[in-house]
Amino acid sequence: MSHPAVELDGIWKRFPGVIANAGASLTVRPGTVHAVLGENGAGKTTLMNCLAGVYRPDEGAVRVHGVEQRFSAPADAIAAGIGMVHQEFRLVDTFTVAENVVLGAAPRVVSQRAIAGEVADLAQRFGFEADPARPVWQLSMGERQRVEILKALWRNAQVLILDEPTAVLTPQEAVEFGNVLRRMVEDGRAVIFISHKLDEVTSFCDEATVLRWGETVAAGVAIADVDVTELAALMVGEVEAAPSPDRMTEPGDVAMSVKDLTVDDARGLVAVDDVSLEVRAGEIVGIAGVAGNGQRALTDAIAGLESPRTGAISVMGIDVSDAPPQKRFAAGLAYVPEDRLGVGLAPKLPVAENAVMRAYRTLRRGPLLSWRAAREYSEQIVERFEVKVGRMDLPLASLSGGNLQRLLLGRELTSGPDVIVASQPTRGLDVAGVRAIQRLLLEQRDGGTAVLMVSEDLDELLSLADRILVMVEGRIVGEFDAHSATRTEIGEAMMGAPS
Amino acid sequence: MKKLVLVRRETPTRGGQPAAFVAGFILALGLGAILLLISGDPVWEVYTRMFERSLGSKDVMSATLNRATPLALAGLAVSIAATMGLWNIGAEGQILFGATAATFVGRIGEDWSGPVLIIAMLLGGAIGGALWAAGPGLVRAELGVSEIITTLMLNEVALRLIRYLQNGRWKDPEGLLFPVIEPRPVQSGLGTIWERAHLGVVIAFAVVAAFAWFAKHSVWGYELKIAGASPKTAAYAGISMRRKVLGVMVLSGAVAGLAGGIELTGTATRLDVNISSGFGFAGIIVAALALMRPSGVAVVALLFGAVQVGGISIQSIGVSSAVSGVLQALILFGAIGAGVLSSYRVQAVERKVVAT
Repeated sequence: MSHPAVELDGIWKRFPGVIANAGASLTVRPGTVHAVLGENGAGKTTLMNCLAGVYRPDEGAVRVHGVEQRFSAPADAIAAGIGMVHQEFRLVDTFTVAENVVLGAAPRVVSQRAIAGEVADLAQRFGFEADPARPVWQLSMGERQRVEILKALWRNAQVLILDEPTAVLTPQEAVEFGNVLRRMVEDGRAVIFISHKLDEVTSFCDEATVLRWGETVAAGVAIADVDVTELAALMVGEVEAAPSPDRMTEPGDVAMSVKDLTVDDARGLVAVDDVSLEVRAGEIVGIAGVAGNGQRALTDAIAGLESPRTGAISVMGIDVSDAPPQKRFAAGLAYVPEDRLGVGLAPKLPVAENAVMRAYRTLRRGPLLSWRAAREYSEQIVERFEVKVGRMDLPLASLSGGNLQRLLLGRELTSGPDVIVASQPTRGLDVAGVRAIQRLLLEQRDGGTAVLMVSEDLDELLSLADRILVMVEGRIVGEFDAHSATRTEIGEAMMGAPS
Repeated sequence: MKKLVLVRRETPTRGGQPAAFVAGFILALGLGAILLLISGDPVWEVYTRMFERSLGSKDVMSATLNRATPLALAGLAVSIAATMGLWNIGAEGQILFGATAATFVGRIGEDWSGPVLIIAMLLGGAIGGALWAAGPGLVRAELGVSEIITTLMLNEVALRLIRYLQNGRWKDPEGLLFPVIEPRPVQSGLGTIWERAHLGVVIAFAVVAAFAWFAKHSVWGYELKIAGASPKTAAYAGISMRRKVLGVMVLSGAVAGLAGGIELTGTATRLDVNISSGFGFAGIIVAALALMRPSGVAVVALLFGAVQVGGISIQSIGVSSAVSGVLQALILFGAIGAGVLSSYRVQAVERKVVAT
């Protein structure tokens, strides 16, 4: 019998204050799609980074096709046939598809046309549609992901690690993606598939390994033998029920209104095109759409981080169209940005510095800031919102995604806002994290807060929201009643079909 | 077959940086020794003299303190700007213009009493430095023009301005051979506090300490921290980057300008183009060695002052004046190089032959 494509054996990886992997193991057979499941902070990404040469494990062995490897840089892993597609794409926007694919791995004498031809052949072999001559900035997120995968295949990756690959896809694209996965493993490659969406795991994958607290709790389970609840139970120990969206109160008055909002992006192109919407007290309005259709510009403009070309925004009857971000917050508008680490938090700074970012103006004594008060304030947030922090004085970067989001949301909610704008609040979180965030948002809704929620997860919007607005190319192209609309209807609207 | 590679440490080693500084310092002395051997100078004698003439007695220690004063302020100025990711390469020009402004105040207040005049001149120096940095700060904040270029260019302008005043407006009628600027009023000299050390030493180190404390305990310092760590997050929290950039540049310039005022009233008797012996540029080195932390600036400035004073002293035993400069450069190179290396480790890896 041939060697496994990948064997990770007893991997330990410690960071200051955190043990990310505590003897985790993983065996992936060639020709299979292998799911790696686990809650946030379970150590999946760390384990994959050990395989991809980003980190060096403290202990344990990495074997690729039976050969023990000690990677000291990602380049070593690539040379050994490991390709990783990260959640954040690493592409050069102004380069073409073909240029991005061969970047850093091109033969010395380069003929543009020859390379474009080879890239096109490669794409066709795996059933991708990709025009090698198009610049990357013109591509959708789904198309960019294909370029990332092509990059790995071009480097002859025998093992492909895909970190949450379907997060950027429409439901329809996600189904196609499953076929691509099958084609990739047909000739003996192995795919490691990291996802939180259990239904995808069951439909795309052959086997699954489940991590919990940095350890492997189930290794190489055949997907055919388990069902979704069993997998979820393995991940979290016990399954928490999805929060019940049943409402306690009826929506009240309009808490936030956006009128005729048009926002240009950095390139001067229209990102948000004449959008008007209202959110009532005690109502959740969802914005559905494929990533990159103006959602970020919309929420940034509402929060005051982008200045719109035209349009008016009011919160609780106060016109905040020209107000700076902190005035909008003071008017009752809380904002959970899509980019938690780049915008919502300062990852280089410790917990307290991040926790008081909204409240420090009220904690001040003259020109001075009482750090004792600031630390007490942050400890309250940490306690109330169950943020797991290793050490309070270490930079945030050591926290897991779910805990970062709890801290961020906790900070925004502590002041009791009237309106919450939450962009992708559950993206990348594990089941328990998703449930916790969703429950918090529902609690806020029941408390009479207006919630505007952008999500790429249609099921989430369908289960939480009262109304769903679909955004395509900066416009609101359809409005659906979340209680009666179907996935297909909304999915079609997301693809730009007339509704 | 093995090859050596540098691997980035995922976590910095405890105490790695101070250790790296010591190692870098020793390495710099070692390289300096080779240089001295090549130039035919007696290594041991040069080094002992450098030590004796900078730290060997109370008298020379007080001279070292005086030397460290402008270095500490210039280093602080650079590190204040650096907390926001700004490079104030113009501390030299701000020192020069600060000294010019202080001279201007001195000319107005010729008849004032000593203490009043000194305070006015020092304030004038700080305001002058602030004005000199405000222009670059403003165009950086509003138009995004690189402060590196503008502050650097203004150094030259400040120098030319002094030359102009020296040959024209402020020319001393009693100067004989060379045009010089009229001396500052006699009552405007800073008193000495210990041996040769003047009051400016206390002022400078108090300013450094006050800034370090204020940055840590004030709302302003907190906002600065956020803005320096993540500009986008600062915008999200409602911290105006434009105002912060301008404010930081003005403060940085004021600190450098104060150094100009202190040099004028503490060690010089009149304004001239050599009133700053490159303190503004040395300040960049000081700030870099202090890892851009205000708290480290004082210590590094003292060390640096000692090297400078010692470096000057060895010229009298026939060592070229360049050696002092080269030694400074070596320390910069050695200590910073070592500082960078301390976040890496050297590792021997197998050269792999990969079958595809």
